[in-house]
Amino acid sequence: MRYLSHKNNSPAAAGAPSDPIRERLSPHLQENLDQLQMLLQGCSDAVIKEFKFGQPSTRGLMLFIDGLSDKKEIEANLLKPLMLELNMQEQGGELEGPDLLTFIQEQVLPLADLKPVESLEEVCHHVTSGDTVFLIDGYTSGLASGTRSWQGRPVQSPENEIVVFGPKEGFTETLRFNTALLRRKIKSTSLKIESMVLGRISKTDIAVCYIEDIAPPQLVAEIKKRLSAIDIDAILDTGYIAELIADNKWTIFTQTEHTEKPDRVCGAMLEGRVCIMADGTPMALVVPVAFPEYMISPEDYYIHFIPASLFRMLRFIAFFIALLMPSLYVAIITYHHEMIPTPLLLTIAATRQGVPFPAFVEALLLDATFELLREAGLRLPRAVGPAVSIVGALIIGDAAVRAGLVSTPMVVIIAFCGIASFANPSYNASIIIRVVRFGFLFAAGALGFLGIILGLILMGLRMASLSSFGMPYLAPIAPFNLQQMGDIIIRRPWFTNRKRPYLEGMKNEIRQATDHKKEGDQ
Amino acid sequence: MKLTDFQLFCILLLMVAPVAYLETPHTLVHILFANSWLAVITAVIPGLLLIQMYYYIITKSGRPFPQMLEEHLGKVAGKLLGLLYIPLFILVCSYTLRLFIEFMKMNVLPATPISVFIGVLLLVCWVAIKAGLETSARVLEIITIIGLTFGLIIVLLALANNFHPARLLPIGYLNYRSLGQGTLLVASIVGKLMPVLALAFFIDDKKRSLGIMRWVVLVFIPVITLNTMAIIITRGIMPSLSQSFPVFSMVRLARIGAFIQNVDIFFIGVWILGIFGAVTIPWFMACYTTQQVFGLRNYRFAAAPTAMTIGILSIVISRNNLEVVIWSQKITPYVYSFFFIVIPLLVFLVTLFKPMPASKSADSGDLANPTSA
Repeated sequence: MRYLSHKNNSPAAAGAPSDPIRERLSPHLQENLDQLQMLLQGCSDAVIKEFKFGQPSTRGLMLFIDGLSDKKEIEANLLKPLMLELNMQEQGGELEGPDLLTFIQEQVLPLADLKPVESLEEVCHHVTSGDTVFLIDGYTSGLASGTRSWQGRPVQSPENEIVVFGPKEGFTETLRFNTALLRRKIKSTSLKIESMVLGRISKTDIAVCYIEDIAPPQLVAEIKKRLSAIDIDAILDTGYIAELIADNKWTIFTQTEHTEKPDRVCGAMLEGRVCIMADGTPMALVVPVAFPEYMISPEDYYIHFIPASLFRMLRFIAFFIALLMPSLYVAIITYHHEMIPTPLLLTIAATRQGVPFPAFVEALLLDATFELLREAGLRLPRAVGPAVSIVGALIIGDAAVRAGLVSTPMVVIIAFCGIASFANPSYNASIIIRVVRFGFLFAAGALGFLGIILGLILMGLRMASLSSFGMPYLAPIAPFNLQQMGDIIIRRPWFTNRKRPYLEGMKNEIRQATDHKKEGDQ
Repeated sequence: MKLTDFQLFCILLLMVAPVAYLETPHTLVHILFANSWLAVITAVIPGLLLIQMYYYIITKSGRPFPQMLEEHLGKVAGKLLGLLYIPLFILVCSYTLRLFIEFMKMNVLPATPISVFIGVLLLVCWVAIKAGLETSARVLEIITIIGLTFGLIIVLLALANNFHPARLLPIGYLNYRSLGQGTLLVASIVGKLMPVLALAFFIDDKKRSLGIMRWVVLVFIPVITLNTMAIIITRGIMPSLSQSFPVFSMVRLARIGAFIQNVDIFFIGVWILGIFGAVTIPWFMACYTTQQVFGLRNYRFAAAPTAMTIGILSIVISRNNLEVVIWSQKITPYVYSFFFIVIPLLVFLVTLFKPMPASKSADSGDLANPTSA
């Protein structure tokens, strides 16, 4: 059936509007009304109000979606001026002629956001976006007024990016609130927020944000080009975009950074990068991104550089622990016992006595169970989620050890590994670690340390072959750049952080005008 | 496609250092006993002369190796010589691979069949060849940084626990013939920098290759000197003579406090990384030379057939560890010397009487691009 109905699956059939909708509005209001009623058939939330205004009376039409538009504003700033105040103003004269629409726009309606609409497609787009459209009999264009208002989540602290220091606010599902959060932090006209609409059916508003004086023009152009090339029915989250615009799509190593924090986005934009936001999601995308940057938390720049550097180094260590610890344990227990001091080896051997599985199977089972618990903890209702996770971890772990299914050191290793994976500030990196870790487990089970090293080389090769909008994925580690490394492994002090991180084609590399270090030395 | 200067440095260092790190001290101890480290130091002079020779050839050539052979020696002779270099690079890969396997089999995973070792390592190197030189070079950068750091730490740890400098004595009692032999041996290893004749054309300015090669020699010589001295200081002469891999025995002595012991696994890890580089680079050279000699569109095409050849040759090259040692002492130094030193010397002599190439032809543009060639 799928193949039989192939013709109907074409993008045009799926979502492209029919031709009449794209044509210019008819001068006859009744024709427009008929078309709109046909288009909005079954849309019970659509409100169409016909009314008359002016002397001699002219037929008008107002169209909005209940729940997306502010009714009070419509009544006060659209209907009232037109139906009452306009009649009072124009008692002595006649309201006719080609300037009626301009007159209403300029002198009658006290609204800041008024845009002309000229086709049914535009009318529908504005209405479904929450605007109110006003059409007049005898005119081939109308007006769309910005009356968007709906119940949205207020600005809250992001749940996935917790910080101790620094701003606590996070993006919401409303694009305009999110752009406002950026604008509040960067009060400059250099901050450009370019809009586009993606999704044939969803018509999702997208914002491409960058600082014009810093961001490489070719990067901005490339992003806009890739976004324009997207032809999909709907964009429900920036995750769609991340996959569609990636340089290399067949890889687990994500080449975009997801964040809910406006300060993180602003920090990235001040380094010349570009942010992509979509309406309906609090997750913003930042491109380009290199893998080592996943270890950087925005908080690093809010605290003193010495503890920040130590924490960052700790995160790098945690990355390797989370990635390699179970596989190293399996390799040592299975192939390289001589590496462990004898007393410790005896202790481990004693705890493993009676365990029916080889270390590899034991690690695999326990790691998979841990991931299962973590996933279940996320999906369960908030009230019981943490409880189930704790019960799962404690009770199942303890019971498995008592039953002799797994050894105590293995539980410790997996738990430690799990904790280390949470130390990573990027959820993307955390996902990568969780998946790739299993690969290393297999490699260690098959070839011990040799397998792990070869696995690391393969991973390195894959990562080195990737790029994010032309930026090498392992930069600045490979290709090695000593100067840039100063803000990767450690956090460079602000007083020496004179230049922005290198980005090809960046317009302005200088972050600070003076070198405070030299001044201080003098 | 271009390489950075640091990437070229790393590639060249990995071409010479990993195998020498494990193999050379043992061979030198057989020749010079307590004075073996002196041969490494004296090799600086022929080493620097060699790189000067390579540099001269590079500056006098408009095209990279092996095309430069045709440029200087004529089409037929150049083509034939280029053809000979294909099995040579395959031999370098196979011998390096076999040395690594013998080491792994003796010290790490004795129960694992050598075909498994060969298979997995070839697979990883094959992925690197397929990924391209640029990608491989990025990984080799990381490997070099890790390798140098950990290699040094491990040697210092071993020295700290077993420091007997008196074992280096007597320094003055030297057999000059043996010293010359040892110096030539180390110089033949420096000769493995010969792929620079091709790789120098991949950096922005091939004239910078001289400085890069000098840095390679200035890192390689102290590392191998320290390593050779460390073996004698920690193990002594007689045990070093009787063991196939005295470096590994030395590393086993390293301890951190009373807890961390047998850190040899880290050494093995670092060495595996190094061997990956030491196999991948000559393999790339084999593929690249094949492409240039036969006029193939892409060097990656040669990866699969050469993989088979390398794998089989690494198995049949010797029957046991003893034969590998014989290879390292009696065969490879001479083969390497002939191809990496004598033939380039011949090319050097020819170029002495040739004018500098026109600036356009000397440009390392698309010609040097193995992907476009």
